[in-house]
Amino acid sequence: MLAKLRLFGRLALIRPRFAAGYVIVVIVAILAILAPVIAPFSPTAADSLSFLQPPSGAHVFGTDNVGMDIFSRTIYAPRIDLTIAILGTGLSALLGGSLGALVGFYSSGRGIRVWLSFALMRAADVLQAFPIFVFAIALVASLGQSIQTVVLAIAFVNAPIYLRLMRSQVLSIRSMRYVEASQVNGLSDFQTIIRHVIPNAMAPVLAQLSINVGWGIVLTAALSFIGAGVRAPTPEWGSMIAMGFQNVVTGQWWPSMFPGTMLAVTVFGFSLVGGSIEVLADPAKRRLLLRDVRLHDMARAAKTAERSSLGPV
Amino acid sequence: MRVLTYLAHRLLFIIPQLLGIILVSFLLVKSVPGDPAVLMLGPTATPAAIANLRGALGLDQPLYVQFFIYVKNLLHGDLGTSWQTTRPVLDDLVQRFPATLELVTLSLLVAIGVGVTLGLYAAKRPNGWIARFADLYGLSVGALPDFWFALVLIFVFYTLLGWAPAPLGRLDMIVLPPPTVTGALTIDTLLAGDLQAFGSALSHLALPVLTLGLLNAGPILKMTQSTMEKMLESDFSRYEVLCGVPQKLVIRHALRNALPSIVTIISVLYGFLIGGAVLVEIVFSWGGAGQYAVQGVLNSDIYPVLGFVLFSAIFSLIVYIVVDLIYVLLDPRISN
Repeated sequence: MLAKLRLFGRLALIRPRFAAGYVIVVIVAILAILAPVIAPFSPTAADSLSFLQPPSGAHVFGTDNVGMDIFSRTIYAPRIDLTIAILGTGLSALLGGSLGALVGFYSSGRGIRVWLSFALMRAADVLQAFPIFVFAIALVASLGQSIQTVVLAIAFVNAPIYLRLMRSQVLSIRSMRYVEASQVNGLSDFQTIIRHVIPNAMAPVLAQLSINVGWGIVLTAALSFIGAGVRAPTPEWGSMIAMGFQNVVTGQWWPSMFPGTMLAVTVFGFSLVGGSIEVLADPAKRRLLLRDVRLHDMARAAKTAERSSLGPV
Repeated sequence: MRVLTYLAHRLLFIIPQLLGIILVSFLLVKSVPGDPAVLMLGPTATPAAIANLRGALGLDQPLYVQFFIYVKNLLHGDLGTSWQTTRPVLDDLVQRFPATLELVTLSLLVAIGVGVTLGLYAAKRPNGWIARFADLYGLSVGALPDFWFALVLIFVFYTLLGWAPAPLGRLDMIVLPPPTVTGALTIDTLLAGDLQAFGSALSHLALPVLTLGLLNAGPILKMTQSTMEKMLESDFSRYEVLCGVPQKLVIRHALRNALPSIVTIISVLYGFLIGGAVLVEIVFSWGGAGQYAVQGVLNSDIYPVLGFVLFSAIFSLIVYIVVDLIYVLLDPRISN
């Protein structure tokens, strides 16, 4: 464990962006958890006497046009944004991933299962042909505006990605000897999929999960921005940006810029983490990275050796 | 002839997909709460009038019959009526779609310019500073929400610097719009010979096009970089280098071979942008098809949304067919 941690630390040194991703995600998570302790004001309390105040000692990020404290709202927001994005992405991975595993496992041969697999893939084609954002708002329109609907919209929009990803993984794993061996040993299809196929197909799915949580946050914020997602005064980045929109045009930048920057940085963090998982999970890329780590170590060793001796030999 | 069979084959696959899109849209409409007859007639309608209209609209029929009626209407070009504008959705969309198309097309050109240029230089020197910049650029634009970036641009270029016009539509208030020919203002103003209006249209296009162009250059950049790297590593490029062919020529030949993948990603992006420009349209009050659809959703006016979904789906299909033709031109292996 300790060796792994040390390796991770060295990785962070030569790929600082990976480290940056984890730092951002951890900080945002801590802010969300500790928001009630850190926030100087209630995130929904409007002080009508001090509206649109620029950033100052009392209100670090200023106040918005109804007098709510922007700093408090900005750090409360990830509670709702992250929850929606994580739930939605998790649901889509569960739905798309398990269907994808089945489709991949049964996509050759004959019988009703093959036809079902084919139909499912074509259904995914249709879903992906829709413009994502318009499909999401149409879902909100027909299911009614609520947090659950936003979660469902994220799940629906992303499910085809996991369906395809899992299917292509399973297709290559299915022909492996160990799958054959488990079936020869009398495991049912279901047991084989659960015990041997899915665990070996998970790595790219995990990388995709982190990236999609970032997208999920953007979709939540975008829906709230146009007024189809989370409603004010619930603290949420997208609706905060929308509230401050007119103010930005007239020069009061703080109601929109602070939540917007937090939103962008958070999404950036999640995509960095996704990128790092992608590299670590791909054997070829991981080998390259580990080679870089060794080169880095050697360069450092050479430097110290140079310094301890009396100059270059 | 072979090309024609190839295209026919592709079209054959497209039709079921289009039917699927129509079916999903239909189900979405049907799951919208509220009786359309009541919505159309208003709260003062008598029960008899509502029953009458329900009969006329086929709402008293079973669901599958309603679906057939819906498809039949679509085939007759009837996309339903928007109760906000009280006009047929088809007319509304035909009027608004060019605005979206103009915005999206120009943005795509910017994205191609940025993406292909950066990708080429990054592939030329995989460890150079341009490659590093391209890497960082691709990562960060992927994470920036477009509506937020648009707002930042407005703040900098309109509020602070005053270089760009206010984000309110496609022309200055005082400029008379040119007679509509194509619906794309840059073309119509030039056709009318009105340079002042042309300038106004361009200045209004600047920020939204910059937003969409810069943020969507990422995929093109990545694709150009990775395919070009592969091409420059491949045998034919190495052989050229060994023979002493000038670097410029080697790169040109590699690019020629990398084109099919780059064209693919561009076509996917084009289809995506029609629906993906919605938020930017709203931020700049663009008055395009996307904004029309969103207003429809927010006011439980569902037919504009469906019309928009169908329009963008059909547009993507047209783009894909055109791209198939381009492949035939680019890759001799396909036509053989």
